Order: sequence, then C-alpha cells, then structure tokens
Amino acid sequence: MKKSILFSLVCLLMITSCVNMDLPSKNKISDDDLMSTQSGMAIYMARLYSLLPVEDFKYMAQWGIPRRSSWLGCLGIEGTGEALTRDGICTSFTGEEDSYWSEPLKLIREANHLIATLPEYKDNYAEVSFNEYLGEGYFVRAMAFYQMARRFGGIPLPLTEIEYTPDEPEKMEVPRSSEEDTWNQILADFTTAAELLPQTAAKSGYANKYVALAYKAEAMLYAGCVAKYNETVAGRLTGLGEKTGVRVIGFASDRWQEASIKYFTEAYKAAREIMKDGKYSLYKAKWVAGDKEAIYQNMVDMFSDLSSPENIFVREYSYPSLTHGIDAYSSPYSWRAPLSAGTCPTLDFVELFDGLPRYPDGTLKVTDGNTNTEGNYILYDDPMDLFKDVEPRLRAYVILPMDTFRNKEIEVRGGIYTGALPIKPLHSDYSYQTANVEYQHLEAYTGSPKTLYLSPNALTSQETVEVKGEQMTAAGYEGPFYSNGEATITGFYLRKYLDPNMKLEDIGEGKSDQPFILMRYADVLLAAAEAAVELELAGAPCPVDGDNMLQIATDAINDIRERAGAELLTSTLKGDIESRNIVRKERRKELAFEHKSKWDIRRWRVIHEEGRDGFWGMEKDASTYSSGIRFMFRGLYPFYSTEADKYFFDAHFQWVARKTFSYNVVDYYFEIPSGEVSKSKVIDQQPNR
Amino acid sequence: MKKILSYTLIASGLLLASSCSFFKLDNYEAPEETLRGSVVDIQTGAPVLTDQGSEGIRVRLTETSWEGNVNPQDFYCMPDGTFQNTKLFEADYNIRVDGAFIPIVREDADGNVISDESVNTHIKGETEVQFQVYPFLNVEIVGVPYVKNGQIYADVRVTRAVSPEKFKELVEPMGDYNDEFVNITDIQLFVGYSSTMGYRARDTRWSNAIEYAGNSFEKFLGQPITINSLGSIPSGRKVFIRAAARINYDTPRGTGTRRWNYSPVMEVQIP
Repeated sequence: MKKSILFSLVCLLMITSCVNMDLPSKNKISDDDLMSTQSGMAIYMARLYSLLPVEDFKYMAQWGIPRRSSWLGCLGIEGTGEALTRDGICTSFTGEEDSYWSEPLKLIREANHLIATLPEYKDNYAEVSFNEYLGEGYFVRAMAFYQMARRFGGIPLPLTEIEYTPDEPEKMEVPRSSEEDTWNQILADFTTAAELLPQTAAKSGYANKYVALAYKAEAMLYAGCVAKYNETVAGRLTGLGEKTGVRVIGFASDRWQEASIKYFTEAYKAAREIMKDGKYSLYKAKWVAGDKEAIYQNMVDMFSDLSSPENIFVREYSYPSLTHGIDAYSSPYSWRAPLSAGTCPTLDFVELFDGLPRYPDGTLKVTDGNTNTEGNYILYDDPMDLFKDVEPRLRAYVILPMDTFRNKEIEVRGGIYTGALPIKPLHSDYSYQTANVEYQHLEAYTGSPKTLYLSPNALTSQETVEVKGEQMTAAGYEGPFYSNGEATITGFYLRKYLDPNMKLEDIGEGKSDQPFILMRYADVLLAAAEAAVELELAGAPCPVDGDNMLQIATDAINDIRERAGAELLTSTLKGDIESRNIVRKERRKELAFEHKSKWDIRRWRVIHEEGRDGFWGMEKDASTYSSGIRFMFRGLYPFYSTEADKYFFDAHFQWVARKTFSYNVVDYYFEIPSGEVSKSKVIDQQPNR
Repeated sequence: MKKILSYTLIASGLLLASSCSFFKLDNYEAPEETLRGSVVDIQTGAPVLTDQGSEGIRVRLTETSWEGNVNPQDFYCMPDGTFQNTKLFEADYNIRVDGAFIPIVREDADGNVISDESVNTHIKGETEVQFQVYPFLNVEIVGVPYVKNGQIYADVRVTRAVSPEKFKELVEPMGDYNDEFVNITDIQLFVGYSSTMGYRARDTRWSNAIEYAGNSFEKFLGQPITINSLGSIPSGRKVFIRAAARINYDTPRGTGTRRWNYSPVMEVQIP
C-alpha cells in the first residue's frame, strides 16, 4: 500500500515537471551567449584558432592535418630531400591518410556563421573590435580554402551556411568550383581579412593584417605557379569534372597566362605592403657582420625567441598544458627519449650551401680527383675542417659531424679504415644503379685482410679497433649503425628548432614547448623576390608604383644572405630562369624544415620524372639521383683512418634503412576521398585519376 | 528461486539464438563472375604487349547498373596484353583500356565525346571482350643478343604502328595538339631475373636507356639500334630482357604517365 502511494506520487511529480518546458535549454549555447560579449567571442575565436589548419610540430605529412599529433616529430622528411628518417612516414607527399576535406568544411561553416551573424551584434562592440572579429572569420575561411586548394585544386566554396534540408538533399550539395574560381575566392577572402584586421592582434598568436597579407602572398604564389607550371607538364595538367563538367583542376588554355600574371601581381603587392609598413624585420639580435660564430648563434636563437621582429605568425606552446615532442624524437642518439634521429638532413640538402669544396659537377668534393670515383680521399684532422668555410646558416640548421650540441661533441663516424695510404674510394661505383651496395657489403669489410670496421648497432654491438693503445669503437657514439636506424642515417642531425639547453632527463614525449614559426619575414621577402622575377619573366609591369621590382628582389635575397653569412649577389636579378632559380634555391635553403618546401616543389611542378631537374630549385641532373619515377638522396659518412690518424669522407646514397621515393604527375592533385565522391551526385573525382 | 533462474536462462538463451539469426547464413555471395579480354592491334591483330603494373595497360571497370555514383575499379593487363578478373559481381559494366595506344575514348577539350570504343556489357559467367586499338610503336629485338664481359648487347628495331598522320587525325580533335607528341623519346633495355620483365620488374643495376631529344629518333626508324646492358651480370645466371620505346604522349591524357610499347620477353644465359 505504502509503495503504491509512493509510486503515484512519483508519477505525479513526473507529470507536473513536464509542464512549461518551452524554455531555452541550459546546456545549449546560443548566438546571444557567444556573440553579444567579448568573453563569448573569445570562446568562439578559441575554437576557430584551435581548428585553424596550420602545419607545425603537430603535423606529419603522411597523416594529414586533422590528426594533430606530435608523435614521431620529424621535419622535412616527406620526399623534399631535406631530411630522411628510418620510418614508413618518410615517403613522397602524394596524399594524406586523414584527408583535409570534411574537417575544413565544418570550420568554414563556423566562419560563415560568424560572418553572417556577428553584424546583428555590431552595436555591442567598438568598431575596431567588430572589424577584427569579422576579419578573423574571413581569415579562417581563407586559410581553410587555401589549405584545401593546394591539395585538391578546385573545391566546394560554400560562402554561406548551408541549411539542413533533409527532404531536399540535393539543396545541401555544393559541387567543386573550378580551380580558377577557387583561387579567386581565396584572394578575395585574404584581401577582406587584411582590410578588416588591425595591425596588431588583440591576442598573441592571433592573426593581424600582416598575417593575412603574408598568407595572401604565399597563396597567390601557389596559384600563379599552378597556372603557369601546369603548362610544363605533359597533358597540360587540367581537366573537367565528370559529373559537373567544371574545370576542377588546372586552367583553360586561353586563361592560364592572364591568371598567372594576376596572381603573381597580387603576391608581389601583398608582400610589398608588409615590407613597406616596416613592422617586421629580419632577426639580427646577436648578429655581427663577418663574425661566423655570432651569425650562427643568431640563427639558432631566432627560432625560440618569441620577441623576434621576424615572427609574423607563431604557434605558441606552453609546458605542461600544450606541448609537443620535437626534442624527444629528433635529437641525436645521446638524447634518445624515447626515440632519436627523427630528422636526418641529407647531403643533397647540405650541398645547397656556400663554402664547400666541390667537384666540377657541383657535388661535394671528398677526393682529390674530378669525381668521387677518382683520386684519393682528402684527409682531415677534424671532420669539421671540411666545413670550415661553410656559411653559418648551415651550422644553425644542421648538426655537422663532430660539431658541438648541448655541450657535447656529436661523434658521428661511419667506421674505421685500417688500410694503407693513400686511400682510394671505398666504392667503385657511386651511381643510382648500385646504391644498394652498402659499406657492409664491401670486400674491405667482409674479406680478409679486413681493413674496414663498421658497427651494426650501438654500445655492446660496436666493433672496436685498437688505436694508440686504446679501443676505439668503429661507429661514433652517435652512429651511424648499419642495422639500427635510430642514430643518424645520413651522417647529419637536425639542429633547427631543437632546444639547445635541454637535459636528457627533461626530454620526453610531450615535454617540449618551443614555438613553431608559421610565417616569418624572410618568407615575405622571398615571396616578393619570386613574384618579381616571375612577373619580369612574363613581361608584366611592376604592380607597385615607384618600385624597381628586380632591385627589390635582389635586395631581398641579399638581406637574407647577409643575415645567413652566405655569399652576396654581385649583380641585379633579371627576368630569366637563372635568376628565378637563385630565388628558388634561396627559398629551399632558408625555409628548410618549416613545412614549406614540400609545397614549393609541388607548385613548381619539379617532382615528377620529366620536371625533376629543377627539384632543388636549381638545375641539377636528375639522372644522378633518380631512375624513372623513383629517386633517392645521399648521406655523408666520415671514416677514421688509423694509418693517417685523420678523417676522410665518403658521399654515398643513404646508408641505413634506405628510402626510395616515387612521384607521378597525378600526385600534384590529391585524390578526392573516394567516399565523398561516391556518396555525392556532384562531387567530382580528379579527372586524371 | 531455482525455477525462476532456469526460466530466465532458457528465455535469455532463446533471445540470444534469435538475435543473431542462428540458422541463417549472414553473408553475401562472393563475387565469382569472370571477365577475360585482350588488347590487339587493329591493323595486324597482334597482341599489344605491355608492362605488368600501373605503367602497363590499365583496365577500368565502371558498374553502370548501379544507380548514382560509382567508383571505377582498376586493374592491369598481363605482359602479353591480356587481362582477366575472376572475382566480379554480376552486373552491367563499362570497360575501357588505356595504354600505349591511341585512346579509345576520345573527348574534345570541353568534354564532348568524339569517339567512344569502350565496351558496355553485362558480365555473367565468363565474359570475353577484345579491344582493337592503334598502338603507337612496334618494338622488337632483332636477331640473337650476344653477351660480352657480363653485358648483353641487343639490336632493337622500332617502327611506327600508327602513322603520324593517322595519329594526328585521331588525336588532334581532342585539343591542345602538338606535333611533338609523336616524337620517340627513348628506347629501353629492361634486364632482370623476372620472367615478367618490364619497367616494374627491371633490375636497375643492368637496365639501360637511350634518350632522344626532339625528333632526332626519326632517322633510326626501322633501323636496328644496338643497346647494351649496364654493369656486369654475374656469369652462369639466366636473365630476361625486354626492349621498349615510347612517344611523347601520356595516356590517359593528363596523368603524365607515358607508357611504353614492348618487345616480347627474351631469355639470355650469361656464360
């Protein structure tokens, strides 16, 4: 009885509680909550920025933007030739596992909502704040469109929120626009953002006018190059979508020229606006003219100094709440925690720098002959002597064998040679075709008498040789080990971005918090220079009154070279391929390991077989490092000669865990995720797939 | 109490059995229809030899009986220019092939179809198709190659299987025509241990190529050209060789893949 009374009471309670439920739900945040106050907008912005597509420590080319994982922390390993790593992630940039397709459309929707709704609350804000918020909406949308466009070409361009109309599903479908319309929209959005955003952002790490302009310049360079260099690819690299008939990749034969000039013009104008306003400059805090050590130290420091006047757009990190693991993955072997040597720069990259001895063909000279199969090895007391005249920028980016890092000599040694002097080249053939003949296959190592000592692994697996009464390990403490890819595999380690003061016990996954510089002033200078030379090449007029654009370009390159301690240009750049390549090569050097080069070689269309001579930003015969669609990179291995008590170097295709890359023309446009194509009546696959 | 427990057990047991359709095989029939086909020269009926892999002749199946969007399925010919797929669902398909021959589906720059010789068919049981195409080149190894110091010397003869005039007549309407399309850019000697020799299976230590700029190959048409393998093949080994040549035209247009026409495979014993 008691029970039933209780039961009915409970029932009654339930009934009454259902009355008057027509109230806004407490757990739903409305536009009023978010857009009527600054604190609400701070939340809205925080979400936009956290989803902003940037490539930093939490981006791996093989995995794609949406994964945002700092695992394996490598830079420049995606077939750019800058660096290599032992793992499967070291592969050509032909697609991303997590495609950047559906995530940006969600972000664009939120940006569109902001753009459409915020004007209703205009009176709640001072005009400058209102414009800043609105500008950020345009900036975020432009970035999302831009990141998609350089991956896929023409993309859907929803400029308003798409209404949910389940009864008419076709109303929710937005087909891909033409590639030309896509780049025009990106241009328009960056332009609007730059007009609305203030010169200084309200919050550190947020976009300002110059961030929008810098990305506009970068995007327009990409667009200009696509329009122009698609023409250099067999088949003109363009096509119409099967479902819509829209030119979803490439430009029409009567449009590409005009379009490319227009985009280069916009790139030049945007870059020049930043330069003229003078807010930013190259970082030279510790720079001293002619002092190589100071120039080197200056370039090491510039990547961690948040007060640098060069930083335009920075992704900041803060231990312990927001961290990454670059030091845990890419430090030399001594700081293995839990991994090491994630980024091993190649010899091909090192060869870009000034001040190295060279053979007539431009490659690094290691023997006294005319090629590395001729003559005898040149001997050095200290491996660093080979690099004594090299430009300081290289030392700031790459740890050279036996250089100092974190107060320790980085002992990189390929092995010990006990044979007589003079020493002939270890290999008889250094061509691509025989790359798989490695040091441990050589007669000097396997035969008798044994004259070459190598180590398959670290510590107890080291072979040793008695040198001056003491046991010397064949490989250096920091490798390379021919059966273990966790020490250097190229003879070099990364220095750029690594924390030079971190101790082993402080290194770990998620323990690093140095900032990633997404956009810096040097990039703007290089964009202005490249656009200027491209405009001159096309015979187009200078877009900015009073500018001598070739002089601007020359000064830009020289400013960067001076800061880097490189050789200066002695004559003005011209509108020719040679000048264009000077700018390109400078870009390859200056912006290495910053997630930029993989896009540069892509927009220059120099990765596929027929275009590959231009891969390094300059002319370099691709047949020396490739065969057909495949290509490889080289390392530089120091060996100690017991007879001479000196070091010599051997330049050979990467020794340990060798990586071969391959690239086809179709890879210049990523495949549209097949699920998106098959579920939609309007989304086209790439026509050449 | 015991009773309740056992009833509950039985009831739940029944539920479990019914919930997973215990007596019904929950599976779709495996695909088992077969498509066989070949690609032959329209003028001679000879098979169009190719590479095995994505640089060879691509066969593209598109199911047409399915409403809406269909992702095509691709597979590749065998070296002798034939193909088969024994794991297909019964359905209507469009079948097209792309290789070192004049495209069988030709569209102009605006996407209007000029000519479409792809095959639409219902695949059931064993279905056979044949594609008659205009291959670009005929490649053959003349005579018997000889071996000296571990290097193979072969005489390769390249002739045009389709005349430049016919090529132009068929390809020009597709737009962006260039007279350089018909230039022969290189001849290859692929060498390696695999009997399905070609670009994919070649051993890069030994394979060799000769490249020709512009139309400089023209004077060698029909002439035997001696090409030797590189490096030194160990004596006592048996290797397979194949010659190939290609023109300055990618198929399908826009992929950038310029495919080779091939000679038959030849076996060489290294003394």
